[in-house]
Amino acid sequence: MLKIGIIGAGTMGGMHADCFSEIDGAEVIAVADAREEAAKNVASKYSARTFTNGDDIIALDDVDIVDICLPTPFHKENVLKVAAAGKHVFCEKPIARNLQDGKEMIDACNKAGVKFMVGHVLRYFHEFSAAKNLIDSGAVGKPGVVRTTRAAGHPQGWSNWYANMEMAGGVVLDMIIHDFDFLRWCFGEVERVYAKGLAYSGIPNVDYALVTIRFKSGVIAHVEGSWAHPRGFFVTLEVAGDGGLFEFDSRTSSPLKVSKKSSDSGEGGVEVPQNPVNESPYTMELRHFIQSVAEDKEPEVTGEDALRALEIALAALQSIKTGEPMQFPLI
Amino acid sequence: MKIGMISFAHMHASSYAACLNELDGVEIAGIYNENKNVGQSLTQKFGGKFYSNYNDLLAESPDAVIICSANSDHKEHVIAAAKAGCKHILCEKPISTNIEDAKEMIDQCDENGAKLGIAFPCRYIPAVMEARKSLEENAIGKILAAKTTNHGTMPGGWFVQKEKSGGGAVMDHTPHVVDLLRWFMDSDPVEVYAESGTLFYDMDIDDAGLLTIQFDNGVFATLDTSWSRTKSFPTWGDVTMELIGMEGVISIDAFAQDIDLYSDINVKASWEYWGDNMDSGLIKDFITSVEDPDKNFPITGEDGLKALEVAIAAYKSAEVNKPVKIS
Repeated sequence: MLKIGIIGAGTMGGMHADCFSEIDGAEVIAVADAREEAAKNVASKYSARTFTNGDDIIALDDVDIVDICLPTPFHKENVLKVAAAGKHVFCEKPIARNLQDGKEMIDACNKAGVKFMVGHVLRYFHEFSAAKNLIDSGAVGKPGVVRTTRAAGHPQGWSNWYANMEMAGGVVLDMIIHDFDFLRWCFGEVERVYAKGLAYSGIPNVDYALVTIRFKSGVIAHVEGSWAHPRGFFVTLEVAGDGGLFEFDSRTSSPLKVSKKSSDSGEGGVEVPQNPVNESPYTMELRHFIQSVAEDKEPEVTGEDALRALEIALAALQSIKTGEPMQFPLI
Repeated sequence: MKIGMISFAHMHASSYAACLNELDGVEIAGIYNENKNVGQSLTQKFGGKFYSNYNDLLAESPDAVIICSANSDHKEHVIAAAKAGCKHILCEKPISTNIEDAKEMIDQCDENGAKLGIAFPCRYIPAVMEARKSLEENAIGKILAAKTTNHGTMPGGWFVQKEKSGGGAVMDHTPHVVDLLRWFMDSDPVEVYAESGTLFYDMDIDDAGLLTIQFDNGVFATLDTSWSRTKSFPTWGDVTMELIGMEGVISIDAFAQDIDLYSDINVKASWEYWGDNMDSGLIKDFITSVEDPDKNFPITGEDGLKALEVAIAAYKSAEVNKPVKIS
């Protein structure tokens, strides 16, 4: 049985705890959050111990794996501490706020000989892994132009940290880094990146970016990230190749929709599309990490992958700032 | 009213001719076409006399001419019409293949008292007109950004011969949406970045383009011009625009008024369009401007030039991998 400590009991920490409970051979034994109530809420479901300081979890002898579900700027110091304690570490995406920090985290884990995986969970989403399989099978021939959209309202989090560019890096660094990792997984290394966005516009609680990526393979990708859409969360993906094209839209490829009459008017209220699957992508992701630790194998999503996804996001932000395309590699 | 049609090289000409024939008091007086056999069968279909020399057609002093020749022939035909004394000229987009020619066309029309209009029929799509009205009513507040596409199918023919078309997918599919964005925002493009390439077909012209356009009102927009719709795709392409505003979002999928058809005759799905014909709105407006001297056709040579400038800047940007300013 691998024993897990979760640091950070926000949305992701709570969800990860639920996921671990479904994985044989894994058990959450400790949850830490500066907000004691939040830690307790998560810990109590699984009879885990509660802490207000993550360091206390890292210091526990019986913890094998530490799961870092903290805001991005706190990733580095915690991963370094976990590695120094000789424990395996799973860390939410993005790996860090800058490339240097990301490199240090990878180096520290390598040096300590511990497993390190970053939560680029998109690779475990059924629709995205199916898309990757279609591309690899040659269904669309040689890919040419790829379009992705990831749109939501502005996220709410601890101290509204998502709204703080220095901390979260906006929609580019926090959200469409998912798509950057997916695209790099499918189409290889990047040649250059150009982007426009609202990251430095000073407009509060809105972010929006349109990113152009040219891959070394020739593929041109258009990545849209929005915290400006009033509707609920949705994603789209289109891959056009010289032998075919596929498109996916979460708003239409949904097997279940629940529409409720709104209580006051009696007319149609909000329709919530649902996409139930037997095992959540988050559980699949964490199950893989647990297996990697148990079998002493390198995880599918490496620290290097996470660093390269971060590189694309930072290039996009830099391009938004300067108005110039960014040539790769940045480091 | 007598209309002369100079060339059916661009397939839109047939649609314009059909629209003309639906209007009372309007007749197609003559058709010039490069290919005589095709031209003669066109006169049988749409009426009028066939001319193997467009100057002979212009000598008959039609009230207006519609020019749908290959892009690189627009200049010759427009200037000939203006010099022949034709007062109303409607030219297919793009206005020309280069900026110098476009400026000369505009100047020559001005000097000869001819009104030059450019065929941007997308302005006449009801959903597009409604969207513009919503913007005028400030439905989504200040516009911040736009994500647009004008995808297509590879058209072949002279469209993929650079000396005739001036360029591939970027030249073909930049003008429409740039014109709509300018029309929506009353703002001009100032800088363009583009990635372009030949990613779908084995040929010597671009079939993929992704532009990022900065407007002088601060709005940035992307435009995907790619001929990325495959033979198996249910329709020819699209015009989509998503406008991101401070208070909301407007999404246009201009040809979404369709029925999904699954017919064993084609053994593929197809989207059968049932929306209004945008060309008929365009042609009606053009004819109104010919009839009524107080009514100017709203889409000018200058509008054509502004849209062309973006395509030209995009090619330059794709070559140097840098943003290119539009002066």
